Amino acid sequence: MAEKLLEIKNLKQYFNIGKANEVRAVDDISFDIYKGETLGLVGESGCGKSTTGRSIIRLYDATDGDVYYEGENVHGKKSKQDLKKFNRKMQMIFQDPYASLNQRMKVMDIIAEGIDIHGLAKNQTERKKMVYDLLETVGLNKEHANRYPHEFSGGQRQRLGIARALAVDPDFIIADEPISALDVSIQAQVVNLLKELQEEKGLTFLFIAHDLSMVKYISDRIGVMYFGKLVELAPAEELYNNPLHPYTQSLLSAIPLPDPNYERNRVRKSYDPAVHDYNKADDVRMREISPGHFVQCSEREFESIKASSLTK
Amino acid sequence: MEKILQVKDLELSFNTQAGEVKAIRGVNFDLYKGETLAIVGESGSGKSVTTKSIMRLLPESSAEFKNGEILFGGRDLTKLSDKEMQKIRGKEISMIFQDPMTSLNPTMPIGRQLTEPLLKHQKISKNEAKKVAIDLLRLVGMPKPELRMKQYPHQFSGGQRQRIVIAISLACNPKILIADEPTTALDVTIQAQILELMKDLQKKIDTSIIFITHDLGVVANVADRVAVMYGGKIVEIGTVDEIFYNPQHPYTWGLLSSMPSLDTEDAKLYAIPGTPPDLLDPPKGDAFALRSEYALSIDMEQNPPFFKVSDTHSAATWLLHPDAPQVEPPVTVIERMKKFPGSRYYEGGAV
Repeated sequence: MAEKLLEIKNLKQYFNIGKANEVRAVDDISFDIYKGETLGLVGESGCGKSTTGRSIIRLYDATDGDVYYEGENVHGKKSKQDLKKFNRKMQMIFQDPYASLNQRMKVMDIIAEGIDIHGLAKNQTERKKMVYDLLETVGLNKEHANRYPHEFSGGQRQRLGIARALAVDPDFIIADEPISALDVSIQAQVVNLLKELQEEKGLTFLFIAHDLSMVKYISDRIGVMYFGKLVELAPAEELYNNPLHPYTQSLLSAIPLPDPNYERNRVRKSYDPAVHDYNKADDVRMREISPGHFVQCSEREFESIKASSLTK
Repeated sequence: MEKILQVKDLELSFNTQAGEVKAIRGVNFDLYKGETLAIVGESGSGKSVTTKSIMRLLPESSAEFKNGEILFGGRDLTKLSDKEMQKIRGKEISMIFQDPMTSLNPTMPIGRQLTEPLLKHQKISKNEAKKVAIDLLRLVGMPKPELRMKQYPHQFSGGQRQRIVIAISLACNPKILIADEPTTALDVTIQAQILELMKDLQKKIDTSIIFITHDLGVVANVADRVAVMYGGKIVEIGTVDEIFYNPQHPYTWGLLSSMPSLDTEDAKLYAIPGTPPDLLDPPKGDAFALRSEYALSIDMEQNPPFFKVSDTHSAATWLLHPDAPQVEPPVTVIERMKKFPGSRYYEGGAV
């Protein structure tokens, strides 16, 4: 595949370190994100998928581990100048379009905030033009620039969130459940918009979600998280056709599909972490089963998965 | 089949500062004994308002019944006094809401919340009520129910809380259970467990369920019949197979095509253009016409009546009128219709 844009190495994000209620929200995960791809990250609430996104973009200071952006370490000590440079390249779209827009600012100023901070516009006219262009890009029009967020519907607000992220011309966007709060018909509009923008601008996405059918639709590769660990990572098609980790299998078997016949025959698998029966000597880590398909497993499990995939 | 509930020509408006919001504009449906009727539609389509009006949970200061009746056990629920309604609510008809945290009282142990409806509606002692409550918890699959009775809502996970809410709603063996997006706030694995639980319990106590959701996957899983709502009206109603494999209304087509199935390829996802209608000033004619590429000129003028597709299936669209032009539904819908005997695209084989 194409070149690496991001390398996440042994990322750890613990909260309440050293206290009785220490939470290992992200517990030693490593993966790469390639230029121009969409990497989907799925898992149940509380599995650490959002924390992973937030740690990558430095909304949290990672407990340990490194994030390399085009070979440069994002999490090392940085001057304000360097940080600004990264912040421009990485942007985020949030789940709740109501909470993530400042209710007291006009759309013009919300979208232009990044442009102002990074000094991207030479004068007022240029600033205005940039905002108008952005509004058009996301399917709104320039009359909307003088309104306040409450005057928009949920889908339109998510478009504003996207326009704001695009304002500084980023390469990489972290979308944290960007469509979960929207109606089905509006979800499709926003997903199509994200896909179009990706093609036009060559953007790279980290798409965090729990709606697995939408994730499969938008992603090139998908990572599955469980209790702070990445348990499986594979190309989207491969993950759905050939899930290897028992948790992924359980997750996939739980998705209801809009097809009554399929639903009548669907058999749900439940996941019990005890099935692995790991002991202390087991070296449990991500192993590559087939090209690009990684599963968290012990040496023993790796051998048995290999053996069964050969007989198929 | 026995009709448990009949909603006839229901019209309801909210009087707001901005004017009259016509939230329900003529809704008709029957609920049969022991069935699950799913109501689907986007926010603002009137699905929640319809069920809240059955429960009479809408603020009387602003919500106003304009027309129609809700017949339950020979009585019209729209005409009952608050006192009479209290005897029905929680006993004969009960409700589960989306967010189990806000529908439980955080300052009361769950045991007391479980016995509350029992003591209110049935003449039993506190001790008996406690026994029933423990049985209910066991019924919804809660481990160690005796211990759990003394605990508070925050000591339970989201899925467990929803189990408790279900237990409370079933305490008096209601004839009708209204579930308003009961699994929307839950993870898929927990959602699957709750749906299985509800189906299982329905068989055991033979209650009828009205299930509100916007997730068509969930509908396909739980429903016997489906009503699709748009702009304060039902636009299509039929059995689950009829709605999923032989849909007739362009809005139902749009809904079914805008969800990616797990085998949707890279093709662009179908998105219904525009936004739902403003019910302060509902459009003349078919409310969906402005967003529909299948709209006929009559759609802009006259509201379509229901056309019968089969004994159990009807849809409100002029496309079913004998004089209407034959149109081609979206590709994904044709794929669905190929599986349905009786549709014009049927290719053979059993459903």
